[in-house]
Amino acid sequence: MHQKEINTDMPFLSIKDLKVEYKSDGQIVHAVNDVTLQLERGKTLGLVGETGAGKTTIAKSILRILPDVGSHIASGEIYLEGENLLKLSETNMRKIRGNKVSMIFQDPMTALNPVLRVGDQIAEVVSLHSDNNNRAEHEKRAKEMLEIVGIPAERYYAYPHQFSGGMKQRVVIAIALACNPDLLLADEPTTALDVTIQAQVLDLIAELRNKYNTAMLLITHDMGVVAQVCDTVAVIYAGSIIEYGTKQQIFKHPSHPYTIGLFGAIPDMNEDEEWLHPIDGLPPDPTNLPQGCSFAPRCKFATDACRKEPVSMYTTQDGHDCRCCRIDAVMKGED
Amino acid sequence: MNPVIEVKNLKKYFTTPRGMLHAVDDVTFTIEKGRTLGVVGESGCGKSTLGRTIIHLHESTEGQILLNGKDVTNLKGKDLRQAREKMQIIFQDPYSSLDPRKTIDSTIREPLIVSRRFTKSQIDQKTQELMDLVGIDERLRKAYPHELDGGRRQRVGIARALALEPEFVVCDEPVSALDVSIQAQVLNLLKKLQKEKGLTYMFVTHDMSVVRHISDDICVMYLGQVVEKCSSKELFKNPLHPYTRALLSAIPSTDIDKPNKREILRGEITSPVNPKPGCRFAARCPYANEECLKQQKQEEVSPGHFVTCCRLKEISSSYN
Repeated sequence: MHQKEINTDMPFLSIKDLKVEYKSDGQIVHAVNDVTLQLERGKTLGLVGETGAGKTTIAKSILRILPDVGSHIASGEIYLEGENLLKLSETNMRKIRGNKVSMIFQDPMTALNPVLRVGDQIAEVVSLHSDNNNRAEHEKRAKEMLEIVGIPAERYYAYPHQFSGGMKQRVVIAIALACNPDLLLADEPTTALDVTIQAQVLDLIAELRNKYNTAMLLITHDMGVVAQVCDTVAVIYAGSIIEYGTKQQIFKHPSHPYTIGLFGAIPDMNEDEEWLHPIDGLPPDPTNLPQGCSFAPRCKFATDACRKEPVSMYTTQDGHDCRCCRIDAVMKGED
Repeated sequence: MNPVIEVKNLKKYFTTPRGMLHAVDDVTFTIEKGRTLGVVGESGCGKSTLGRTIIHLHESTEGQILLNGKDVTNLKGKDLRQAREKMQIIFQDPYSSLDPRKTIDSTIREPLIVSRRFTKSQIDQKTQELMDLVGIDERLRKAYPHELDGGRRQRVGIARALALEPEFVVCDEPVSALDVSIQAQVLNLLKKLQKEKGLTYMFVTHDMSVVRHISDDICVMYLGQVVEKCSSKELFKNPLHPYTRALLSAIPSTDIDKPNKREILRGEITSPVNPKPGCRFAARCPYANEECLKQQKQEEVSPGHFVTCCRLKEISSSYN
């Protein structure tokens, strides 16, 4: 038995200074850099950022399912209910995966096993985390889960190819929720779906979250989804959190030039504008991050100080975190 | 009135083992020169097939396609090649629509060579102009697609589509694979090119905020049929078809003070194989009754605003 270091003062999930690196062609890819996050039970934290920003890597680090070859957690701590997941043995970690912490993967088309019946794929999770071998009972639980996500129980025996995209994603959700996880990692759960189906799935997730008081880490690039679902928001850029606060703070007073740019680039549904306001340039090469602020090359507020050394977190006027040393200038709109 | 593209009662059916798949079923519209028609709908509604059928990537089953007033529906051989120079397409996925073994330069050059209208030096010059036009750096001339990010790849796709100076371009979800900050760059580029060259676009997308931004007129498609058609402004101000209303209400709003008043739809898009007569949306429509099982007619409810819904008069009073 391992020794549990329980600390009840700690938040439900707490990530401290997480650093993840990949090796690719002899170069080191800095995928996640010193990420610190907290999440309480029953709350939803949105991780927002563009492709390659490191959002999925953070979620996979929590479950410790990063690819064995070439990637490693360089430093940091991940506490779930005060217990450091990074220090657990593989045997104990397996008991947590799919049970206490589970993940909804992005692409429902590839997340399911095409040669297994959908019901059996749900029952598999149940039986792995059950203390008995009662197949009938596991099957019953799987059927229950299908009903919960809105699929008739008699479809237990169907194969994934017989389902539409929305139904497959429901099955993926059923698998993730089968053991009533305390923490749900949802990686772009609706990105592959149409808007009307997305609305159904988001409602379903919200309903289940409220029912079981599940904490959720929602990874998305869609600001609209964040606005609808999340309590707190962390904006990620090139592997670092550049802005972190409650939904109200981030949406009402976005303070980092990147966050402001992100909002500006979305076509406004309520206003007519001739031209959009893209963010110039491209995200930096993660094998060769800029010395200072990683957004500096694209930032019109950047000064020499920004380019010289890493920027620390500042507190904005309304009290949320923003990794920008030019906050005052940005707020006044001075170049 | 100067329509570049006129589509009349266009149908495209595919034969499948389970029966006839009605991908595009009786679609009619015109696009004036220099304007953009947005086509929106969910996956599988036939919006991409419609675009591809118009430019002859698929052969149409029935109906008529007119380019500048000339019937191009059943062109073959040399005539078709000539007509195609005027009609081009920008594909959805910049990762799979470029030949991975061709340099950027030779990808953009290819249509100019194929057309056999230009000399070597003209081709060199035009390739250079096209790269400048879409904003690709000279140093990327000899690069391969895998060396480029999605936004730049899509710029190459745009340059290739514009090489032969087409009048009509089908933009098939050109920005849906891109991140928002890059998406805005590409949308601005498409708009700029339209202004400079007087291009006519058909813009296929599932993203309502994008379609609102770029389109003059919008067609909403459901299972191969157009359910509502009007100007972009009118559609967002006064959506009438129950499907359009559900689609608009399902978009997650970025305004946190105004949570969506959602009209959640039951079920999912049904199969377009051997559809029954009557409204194809009826199975998911909260207002459907027996009347909806009969053949539906498109009606002009106000000038330029077409809706295909037999119960519109009764139900529109319940809209606020």
